Amino acid sequence: MALDPGIIFIGDLVAIFSVYLIINLSLNLEFGFGGVPNFGKVLAVAGGAFVMGTIPFMMFGVLVDYGALEPVDDNIMLVHQINAYIEAHPESVLGVFAVTLIVAVAVGGVLGLASAYPAIRLRGDYLAITLLGFGEIIRIIGINHTPLVGGTLGISLPDMLAFVPNEYRFLTASFVLLAFAGGAYLLVSRFTKSPVGRLLRSTRDDDLALQTLGRDPVKIKFKVMMLAGMLGAVGGVMYASYVEGVVAFGYDRLNWTFLPFVMIIVGGMANNKGVLVGTLLFVAIRKLVIYYNDSLDGLLPFDIIWLDYLALGGIMILVLIFRPHGILPERPQKTESLEKG
Amino acid sequence: MTIILFDGLIYASVLAVLCVGLSLTYKITSVPNFAHTSFAILGMYMALIMAKVLDVSVYLALPVAFAASGALALFMYYGIIRILQKKKSSLISLIIATLAFDMFMIGVLNIIADGIRNTYQVNSRDFTLRSLDIVIGGDGGLPLVFIVTLVLLAGLALGLYCLLYRTSFGMSLRGAIENESLAQTLGINTRTIFCFAWFLSGGLAGMAGVLMSMWFQGDPSLAAIMLPSIFAGSIVGGFSSVYGAILGGVLVGLSEVVGTSILIDLLGYWVIPYRPVIPFIAMIATLLVLPGGLIQLITKYQKRKNMTMKKAEEEKEDSKEEEDGVGA
Repeated sequence: MALDPGIIFIGDLVAIFSVYLIINLSLNLEFGFGGVPNFGKVLAVAGGAFVMGTIPFMMFGVLVDYGALEPVDDNIMLVHQINAYIEAHPESVLGVFAVTLIVAVAVGGVLGLASAYPAIRLRGDYLAITLLGFGEIIRIIGINHTPLVGGTLGISLPDMLAFVPNEYRFLTASFVLLAFAGGAYLLVSRFTKSPVGRLLRSTRDDDLALQTLGRDPVKIKFKVMMLAGMLGAVGGVMYASYVEGVVAFGYDRLNWTFLPFVMIIVGGMANNKGVLVGTLLFVAIRKLVIYYNDSLDGLLPFDIIWLDYLALGGIMILVLIFRPHGILPERPQKTESLEKG
Repeated sequence: MTIILFDGLIYASVLAVLCVGLSLTYKITSVPNFAHTSFAILGMYMALIMAKVLDVSVYLALPVAFAASGALALFMYYGIIRILQKKKSSLISLIIATLAFDMFMIGVLNIIADGIRNTYQVNSRDFTLRSLDIVIGGDGGLPLVFIVTLVLLAGLALGLYCLLYRTSFGMSLRGAIENESLAQTLGINTRTIFCFAWFLSGGLAGMAGVLMSMWFQGDPSLAAIMLPSIFAGSIVGGFSSVYGAILGGVLVGLSEVVGTSILIDLLGYWVIPYRPVIPFIAMIATLLVLPGGLIQLITKYQKRKNMTMKKAEEEKEDSKEEEDGVGA
């Protein structure tokens, strides 16, 4: 049964929205609430995706007899074998995916800590530069270190949902991603409403006042970078498993650092509902642009992809000038006594 | 060996010129400008247009690129940064705005590149204008671009010294940087001065871009590739001093080219793509060990020297006073 194009459009929209929601929530946690400008968001995302590109092959290696096949060199044949195994033993996916997620979370946390370490004590601009550099480095490694995720060509990944009947396969993926994103949303909004959320805001707003109250802002920044790194890596795992492949070239600054910044600033920083709105808005716009891409192609004397850069850069500057607090600005947190009074 | 020498010195000088501009605007606006390399790429395309489309000497592109990139920098300062600063935006918002402008310029520059290729059938990606350069002394001789680059860097160092320390304009510029409102109360038009500095910064970057395309390759993607290098150079130098920037830029540029060639000998050709890691390591090491950069080291040394000299003088005076006291 062939899927209706409308359903494919909606399903893809939901999936990409879920991936970006997870990443944007993590960025909002560190940047919106914690005030750490992570211009290397792509680091954690790519870290998670690279874990997804390696760990499942290792784990299935125990279950399936690979023979002389190598994950990178004989990628397609191996993926085919593993998919056949998943179809026969659906329960194996649970274990493999869980372990992959745990490893990705650990890697994301370590990357978050490591990238923050050199400059977290220095001024915000030095930190921004260092983090940006880290984001570029992981791309260079991914592209050039072929054994990791296949270098310039990339690799295909086994389909974690190969056991689902074909006609439901596509929508199941969207639902699974949406469930993960919903979980992340609940977790982050509970976290930011808790006293820890207030602690984060105060780190961002006035770290001197925080110090007088006996808290160490540097320690808090480290912790939030670690947490956001973990969540960002989960986003990376989700994306890689959704597109069933990892191509290092794809983990660039525009898509995984700049776009999340645009989304959360347009939606409303330090406001999880704002992040929801901003993410939905931009994912929908970009989907529509890609959808109508073909009709524009040939009319213009240049590649359409560059309009993407023009539009995103332009929108960001205009929003910063005319509506710096976004669609849903951060709301003051009311304490109980204030509400009564 | 001579190739590595040319590569290293040209790259280091180009980087130093870029670092000077970056540090200058950073000192003035206290915003690290992430769109600084896009000024250089605009210069590269000016060179391509002059040499391949208009068919004139590529050296004519130097003043043209200076004007074009300077105007772009001026537009960025006047149209974006100043407006945001008037609205009292945070430093992070300003940094994001420069990143956004960089993204915008990536789009613009790629459209220019595609436009040149489609309209004039000229290769506009990974192009080099090296073959158009004049080589002094025939094959294997001295390329003119090598001399021009070194002269530009030396002229920049000397010119900036004369401008900053030998003219009243330079004095107002330094004053406006140190304390803007105090300079304004003294009747100095800080707005003109800052506009001039941004124009100069962008123009220099444009010239650096022209020279870059005459020895290495020109491509829009270089904006992102060179960005860590120029930030590394500026930070190694101290990020707020023009002379620190020259020092840092030359050091980082040389270590990138020479370091990579040494590593190729030691480890093999697979290290070539990892070249951007070298400036990054230099930057991290500087931030960890000496956050103020090399210039901090130099000023510290000078201060200590002054202190010891002062101390010696004071001691002399003290002993004199004592002698006087005894005498009285």
